Amino acid sequence: MTSTAQELHPAPTLQPGRTILELNGLEKRYPGTHALKPVHLAFKAGEIHAIVGENGAGKSTLIKLLTGVMPRTSGEVIWEGQPVALATPHEAMALGINAVHQEVVLCRHLTVAANMFLGEEESRFGLLQQRAMVKDAQKIINGLGFDLPAHVVLGDLTIGQQQLIAAARATVRGTKFLIFDEPTAYLTRKEADQLFKLIRRLKGEGVTIIYISHRMEEVFELADRVSVLRDGTLVGTRNIAETNEPELVKLMINRSIEQIYHKEHFTPGATIVETKNLSGKGFENVSVTVRAGEIVGLYGLIGAGRSEFVTTLYGRHKKSAGQILWQGKEVQVNSEHDAIRLGMALAPESRRDQGLCLNLPVGMNLNLPIYKRISSNMLISGAKEKAEADRQIADLRIKTPTRNALASSLSGGNQQKIVIGKWLAHGAKLFIFDEPTVGVDVGTKAEIYRLFSALLSKGAGIILISSYLPEVYELADTLHVFRRGKLVATHGFRTADHEEILTQALAEKQEKQGGQT
Amino acid sequence: MSTEAIAAERPKRNYNALFGLTLLALLVLLWVILSLATTSFASANNISNLLRQGSMIAILAVGQTFVIITGGIDLSVGAVVGFSTVIAAMLINAGVPVFAAILITLLVGVAIGLFHGFGIVKMGLPPFIITLATLTSLRGIGLLMTNGNSISINNDAFQEFSRNSFVGIPNLFWMVILVGIPAYIFLHHSRWGRYLFSVGSNAEASRLSGVNVQRTIYMAYTLSGLCAAFVGVLLASRIGIGNPTQAEGWELQAIASSVIGGTSLFGAVGSVHGPLLGAFILATINNGANLLNVNAFWQRIITGLLIIVIVYFDGLRRRGK
Repeated sequence: MTSTAQELHPAPTLQPGRTILELNGLEKRYPGTHALKPVHLAFKAGEIHAIVGENGAGKSTLIKLLTGVMPRTSGEVIWEGQPVALATPHEAMALGINAVHQEVVLCRHLTVAANMFLGEEESRFGLLQQRAMVKDAQKIINGLGFDLPAHVVLGDLTIGQQQLIAAARATVRGTKFLIFDEPTAYLTRKEADQLFKLIRRLKGEGVTIIYISHRMEEVFELADRVSVLRDGTLVGTRNIAETNEPELVKLMINRSIEQIYHKEHFTPGATIVETKNLSGKGFENVSVTVRAGEIVGLYGLIGAGRSEFVTTLYGRHKKSAGQILWQGKEVQVNSEHDAIRLGMALAPESRRDQGLCLNLPVGMNLNLPIYKRISSNMLISGAKEKAEADRQIADLRIKTPTRNALASSLSGGNQQKIVIGKWLAHGAKLFIFDEPTVGVDVGTKAEIYRLFSALLSKGAGIILISSYLPEVYELADTLHVFRRGKLVATHGFRTADHEEILTQALAEKQEKQGGQT
Repeated sequence: MSTEAIAAERPKRNYNALFGLTLLALLVLLWVILSLATTSFASANNISNLLRQGSMIAILAVGQTFVIITGGIDLSVGAVVGFSTVIAAMLINAGVPVFAAILITLLVGVAIGLFHGFGIVKMGLPPFIITLATLTSLRGIGLLMTNGNSISINNDAFQEFSRNSFVGIPNLFWMVILVGIPAYIFLHHSRWGRYLFSVGSNAEASRLSGVNVQRTIYMAYTLSGLCAAFVGVLLASRIGIGNPTQAEGWELQAIASSVIGGTSLFGAVGSVHGPLLGAFILATINNGANLLNVNAFWQRIITGLLIIVIVYFDGLRRRGK
């Protein structure tokens, strides 16, 4: 671990930029937790500085202090040589500090242009200059190289496009210091590339970028330096050229990378489910078999038809053709209800929209699928309800004060454990995990993967959807590649290399084994 | 990420119990003050009267709360009450046995609730709209059926019921208990109650967890319609007439009682005891204001202010401060 003194006086040969922002013992305490222990760190003008760490490591706290959303407990922040209070978001913005958040915080019902100028509308004689604003917004968007219309309603764009607009908005108000908090969590690769282009361009203009991400490859692609937070402590800062992924992961979690992708192989048992030429909205002719004890990975870009395939299998959408065979017998799955009765369980992609009842207690979320079982006639057995919830919380190591705490009060990783965990007690045979580790830190990922093994050992089968190739690559016994609604290739465990799989998922016109894109 | 920052909130159930307690304390405080300030408040006669006044809104508020917990609203309950008085009066006057007349009236309430469920689930209408539509058209149907006249009920036994007491407690208040206890068990100790909360919190997550969301919504509105029809029967008994314009504005009193009782209009937060206390707090204020000779116009203003104050403090609590 690097000493903090070294961070205060970085060798000038590494980065020629002058220091723009310096943290001098910045500290934050909440009642009962020490969220950020004194941090000493200097950011240089025009650098891209990545910050990595597990959920709850203090990244969010750091952002909130820097953007004036929360007051610090002690320490100094020095902005261009002057101590600043950063007491309000307004003060931070006036200095030139802005943030782009993971979830878009803009007005979905207003136009792109209206959002771009929100709070700083152009007006003449008190009247809004709508047309001028659309024109100016379009100029800015085009200038950034985004191919997006300024006159449409923001909500009509995809989440990824909205994220780009949020980034564009942050760049137009004299920003000198821009924080990105997990900006690519919901972006397609193409959108992410556009964003990276924007970030590099800002860097070229001398803007300092703080880049927070769980995705290591992005950190290595973009950043000049990287700082690692663990349990509220700054455990080290490295030049990106002088470090590697295993080192960072080890700093983050005190554990090596091999221990994360925990893969146990089981002898596959009987077939649990089989689809024969299943077609539906967004996918066609998909034949997939899942046997007991195996993980079937579905890899592809967002929109390739994987989610549509599994939600149709799960009865959420109607199939248009093909068959579903459950344990060898053809079945009709007309609703989620049918699917659950057969023994399927789905942990959906978006935990906020589809996975959790955020303003209900943790215990109730965990028990939701099994209330039928823990009640006799209509009445719930209070003792069973408590026991089930407590057992789950202990088994899954969910960090929560009690089973009565609201799900919204938990960190993202712990929320994800609920989304997955609520099916364990249900005793399903087929588990469908749709992007189970989006926005989840490495430590929790490892725990989730270990859960997979536990399920497999009990004779369950798993369908794992992921846009993160290393995840499906390291875990799936059978790996299916989807492209534009079709299953285009199938591989065994680690039988193809990353490049081949990527090509199959990306190839536009070339058919299988086409050239590089 | 933002969720990390939200400090762990106090366990919900404790908070609910606490809020129930403070409402009870508020009610008791009001009673003590009014007993000291007026000579007539603490009389047996007035207390009976107060219980009668509060009972009907209390039952409406329970049904309303089921709906609000799912994230909906039922604006029709006042109109259903008025309409039910007409149905009950017509049936009784036509010589239908009282027992059967009551049963049929309740079934009409159930049918109205099912219609609301149909409008929301199958037609995709917002709850506000479908129940607003029923609110105005039910009054119209009632007026058509009665030609705009009141129907006097000629059955003394039916009317006696609401005036009588059992072990010193007005029958109408016993009806609150009759509704309240099953409602409490239903909401807090049955899985259907849990589903009301989960649908109100996140319908999609509930559906994917195997909860029958459509059935849950049908159930909430049916129960609200049933409660309203029941109150219609009680009102017909109390005033002895069937009149479709009765119970004007009761839907708002029911919603106010529910909200004062800690129900969140955003759904997923609520109880049975809260709305009951809320209804009797409102009844006590009106009763007390009458005894203190407060201008009736002021009573409305005070009620409005009180709703603001109570819900504001509820909001403060909820934010954990």
